[in-house]
Amino acid sequence: MHIAVCVKQVPDTTEVKINMETGTLIRTGVPSIINPYDHFALQTAIGLKKQHGGEVTVISMGPPQARSVIQLGLALGADTGILLTDMAFAGSDTWATSYALSKAVKKTGRVDLVLCGMQAIDGDTAQTGPGIAHQLGIPQITFAENVEIEGKKIKAKRLTDSGYEFVETQSPALATMILPKDYVCSYPSFVDIFESLKKTYHQWTAEDIGADTAFIGLKGSPTHVNRIYPPPQREKAVMVSGSANELVEKLIDILKKEDFLKGVLNHD
Amino acid sequence: MPSMDTITRNLMLDSLKDYARKHLPYDFIRELDRKNEFPAGVLKQMYDHRILGVHLLMIPVEYGGIGGGTYDIYRICEMLARIDLGIATSVFATFLGSDPIRVAGTAEQQKKWMSKIAKENLFVAYAATEPDAGSDLVNLRTLAEHVLKNGKLAGYRITGNKQWISNGGVADVYTVLALAPGGPSWFIVEKEMEGFSANKHEDKHGIRLSNTAGLALDNVYVPKENLIGETEGQGLLQAQSVFGYTRLMVAAFGLGAGWEALETAVRYSQQRIQAGGPLSEKQGYTHKLIVPNAVRLEASRAYIEEIANRLDKDSHGLQTEGAIAKYYATEAGNRTAEDAIQALGGYGYTRDFPVEKIKRDVKITCIYEGTNEIMEMTIYRGRWQEHLKTRGRYYADVADSMDKLNPDAGADSAGLAMNALGAIMEECRLQKLTRHQHVTFKLGKLIASAEVAAAFARATAQQAYSESVKFDSRTWQAMSRICARGAALQTAVEGLALVAGAGENPQGLKEKLNLELIQEKQQGLVLDMDFVADKLKQTFKAK
Repeated sequence: MHIAVCVKQVPDTTEVKINMETGTLIRTGVPSIINPYDHFALQTAIGLKKQHGGEVTVISMGPPQARSVIQLGLALGADTGILLTDMAFAGSDTWATSYALSKAVKKTGRVDLVLCGMQAIDGDTAQTGPGIAHQLGIPQITFAENVEIEGKKIKAKRLTDSGYEFVETQSPALATMILPKDYVCSYPSFVDIFESLKKTYHQWTAEDIGADTAFIGLKGSPTHVNRIYPPPQREKAVMVSGSANELVEKLIDILKKEDFLKGVLNHD
Repeated sequence: MPSMDTITRNLMLDSLKDYARKHLPYDFIRELDRKNEFPAGVLKQMYDHRILGVHLLMIPVEYGGIGGGTYDIYRICEMLARIDLGIATSVFATFLGSDPIRVAGTAEQQKKWMSKIAKENLFVAYAATEPDAGSDLVNLRTLAEHVLKNGKLAGYRITGNKQWISNGGVADVYTVLALAPGGPSWFIVEKEMEGFSANKHEDKHGIRLSNTAGLALDNVYVPKENLIGETEGQGLLQAQSVFGYTRLMVAAFGLGAGWEALETAVRYSQQRIQAGGPLSEKQGYTHKLIVPNAVRLEASRAYIEEIANRLDKDSHGLQTEGAIAKYYATEAGNRTAEDAIQALGGYGYTRDFPVEKIKRDVKITCIYEGTNEIMEMTIYRGRWQEHLKTRGRYYADVADSMDKLNPDAGADSAGLAMNALGAIMEECRLQKLTRHQHVTFKLGKLIASAEVAAAFARATAQQAYSESVKFDSRTWQAMSRICARGAALQTAVEGLALVAGAGENPQGLKEKLNLELIQEKQQGLVLDMDFVADKLKQTFKAK
């Protein structure tokens, strides 16, 4: 069995600040981390490998320093690491990223399962995983809390707005993972980190994966970011309490006071 | 030993940070500190190769370790100190205790003991200090007598007492310095050897999580294979040869503990409103309690990194530099913790905030691994030799090299500090003032601040920002300028006072020191401090 896990290096958003003048992220001194959802996806893959045997390949796209998340994956138990790094990929949106990652997955040979985090904490789009499934033409299970393998079947418990859904599909398939509430990320020991240097690691360019340059980078990205800005701070809410009748009266008072009822009252 | 690549090292730091986050919350540490308790279980976990394997960093790869370089160990020591200086000390004691074997052991001894320490997660202790022999190891009283079998040397019987031994009561293996017939020598002693015992865990001012105990050796028999290096009389040289490296680690402790305290103060200062605004907006607060400490700590970092990189290339020596690093960074860390208590006011004085504990803990860094007064002496001795050997050119040459660097990095003032230092030393030579011990120690202090300022300016001018630096280049430049201005002024003014105080104030020394130019260079100091105060606030936001 071969599981591919797609991971992303993201700025630790708890420490990111925005330069209000330029509308860009201030990344100086902000540590980079593995996207936490991807961390869980990675550990899920390694758990499945322990259960069923096989191999795990960890793949990322990013600048050379993104090797860090690959090495973390290898230290945690993945067998092979692949970093897609090439100036040609720069500026890729989720569509172009999905295309590039799917090309890399294909190049690794037969894959039974692809795991991704449900979204990255820097972009919050949740599009890359489904995009990869689309590009590969395989079924996708989004927002999975766990994934099991039974022969050719992939079974998952997925979170929905109203509860959980238990779904199954045939391999090969792709699942995007949520973060379970009680989940604790594990980190490798110094020895595992040191030993991970001996594992197979590839850096692939756009050419290596046979990517069509029209589909990657800024040129291949239909999305354009115009501006980044922090959402305006919400005003403080006013809490009112009392019986239903009292609440209605209080509410009407507030609406009158704030002049919200003008149009309504003028109506008659 | 070369250091690892940045990514590998940072992954290890992440794992260590994660371990501390999960297992060492402040309340837990605080309780152990209150109870004066050594957390053996925590340390064993930290040594466990499946969990962390932190001690493996200093063990060569061929013996089952991961062979970290000096730079790697500095980074880990800094983080350990940020977590808890007692735990850091305990880990360091194993590093230090193994050093005589790592540095001076025969191939066979290294293989046997380093592999054993790696595999069995052994705690090690370094036992040199005695009741009557601290910094002055020449007064060593612990004796190692020959034991003969059939007229041939079979082993030694060791008798004596050791004091203030880190890990003393908990170690599995001890490297013990004792006086053999051939002179001071290191021996490997195991805890279960007959006649060996440890005294009670000391009730200390700080680092209460670290076990400190005296040792009693009563006719302890060790086989001759346990004489490190299998040659008697090499003990003091062997001890000396690792000081450059071990003192750099203690410097990293001062740096880590200092930053932990300062970060707490910077975050606090943005929340505490006094007289209509947060403390972080008031120069009377920031320019006294915060900014000068940040500057000294980052200067320490620049110096430590320069020396760590040199040790990784050259792997031994640099004793004067190790002493400068230890002296400057631990004084900086100690001062910062003191100021952090002041910065937190009443809260700082309580045990609810960590700065009170950091202050107690960090004081030890000014004492152990050679007191800071011994550092002043060591620094003076090393550089006085250079001054004489080069006929006074030593600092003039460094000053010249500073002139070639970007003045925005403070290199101009650092050059003035170097020049002033050379002039003061020459004047001391002419007037034979080093017959006063006070003068020599004070020179040691001035040398340290001037050399650290020069290293800071070098790193800043060469844009040698390592992964450990949390500030942008403009902030480091401002910090370096503040540091260099202060060092130049301090060297010249204190140097003048020293010469005048111990001898005569000669005509023309003031001109040689360039005092007027040094004063001119102070221009822009307050603006730079404003800038740094602002950057610190942005970097360490209120939580």
